[in-house]
Amino acid sequence: MKKEKVLFVIPAYNEEENIESVLKEIKKDAPFGDILVINDCSKDKTEEVVKKNKVKCINQIFNMRYAMNVQTGIKYAYQSNYDYVIQFDADGQHIAKEAVKLLEEMKKTNADIIIGSRYLKDMGYPCPLMRRIGTKIFEIIIKFFCKKKIADPLSGFQCLNKKVIERYSKMGNYPEFPDANLVIEMLLLGYKIEEIPVKMRLRENGESMHGGIIKPIKYMINMFYSIVFVLIQTPMIKKGK
Amino acid sequence: MKKIYFIIIAIFVFFYIITEVRKRKFSVKESFWWVMASIVMLLLAIFPYSIDKLAGFFNVDYGPSLLFVFCIVFLTFINFKNSKKIAEQQEKIIELAQNIAIIKEQQNEKK
Repeated sequence: MKKEKVLFVIPAYNEEENIESVLKEIKKDAPFGDILVINDCSKDKTEEVVKKNKVKCINQIFNMRYAMNVQTGIKYAYQSNYDYVIQFDADGQHIAKEAVKLLEEMKKTNADIIIGSRYLKDMGYPCPLMRRIGTKIFEIIIKFFCKKKIADPLSGFQCLNKKVIERYSKMGNYPEFPDANLVIEMLLLGYKIEEIPVKMRLRENGESMHGGIIKPIKYMINMFYSIVFVLIQTPMIKKGK
Repeated sequence: MKKIYFIIIAIFVFFYIITEVRKRKFSVKESFWWVMASIVMLLLAIFPYSIDKLAGFFNVDYGPSLLFVFCIVFLTFINFKNSKKIAEQQEKIIELAQNIAIIKEQQNEKK
């Protein structure tokens, strides 16, 4: 039987302090998977640290930001014929043992996407109130339009199967924030998305991309606008227009 | 006399656009709307009262107001067209850069 190929896609920007422990953890707890770091023109020694650990590293030509790095990794997976992609953060939040659970769940349920959820069960993840409220709003929107409960649509900890890898890699206008909007689009297009509760850590070093006051506000506006477009666009995609 | 100034300006604009296209600094396709605009400018310079007649047709009391409206509509149209083009090119640049980065890594793996 053909061995299934799994790729951990890790977008990284200035993560020299966290990335080494992340790579070591994956090698130890999920040795079956290949690792690909997408270095988004980091100004620190991220590239050197990754190369020192003998891990594949795509160095972007210019700074592309999170989503485009994820898509680059997915494109690589598609071109290299991987069966599964696990999106994994470079900041140490995601736990490799939990990634194994995502993969097992995917094989068990035959879902297209498995989301590692912080809020499906109380896993002791300390989450700021505003973020919790934001997540709840998106959960309600998804429930309303897709009739499916997704408790943590903003989680970047996801496992994708080959069908989704192909779709994402060929997707033009890949969203700047591939969160609730993409979940809604995929659900409306008939893809099967499941969620499992996972443990996550708080980030150890560095700065989050959603930090501060202005960024979350911009994020919310961007996300609502994006969802409106998805709701208009998706029925057209379905009809093949 | 004023009429001659405007005719000269319109002819200058027209030839400037044509020269830029000939020097290949501007594409034939992109020059279309600007050439059209310069022709309209020329016609308005030769027949300045035509704008008043047109204003009467549209029930606009003051001719130059109509001219302003046309200019705003034209510039908004051009601006929207350019924004669309920038977005398309941005998408293509990202696609190219992603592929170059992937190919580089694939070459590294083969070494």
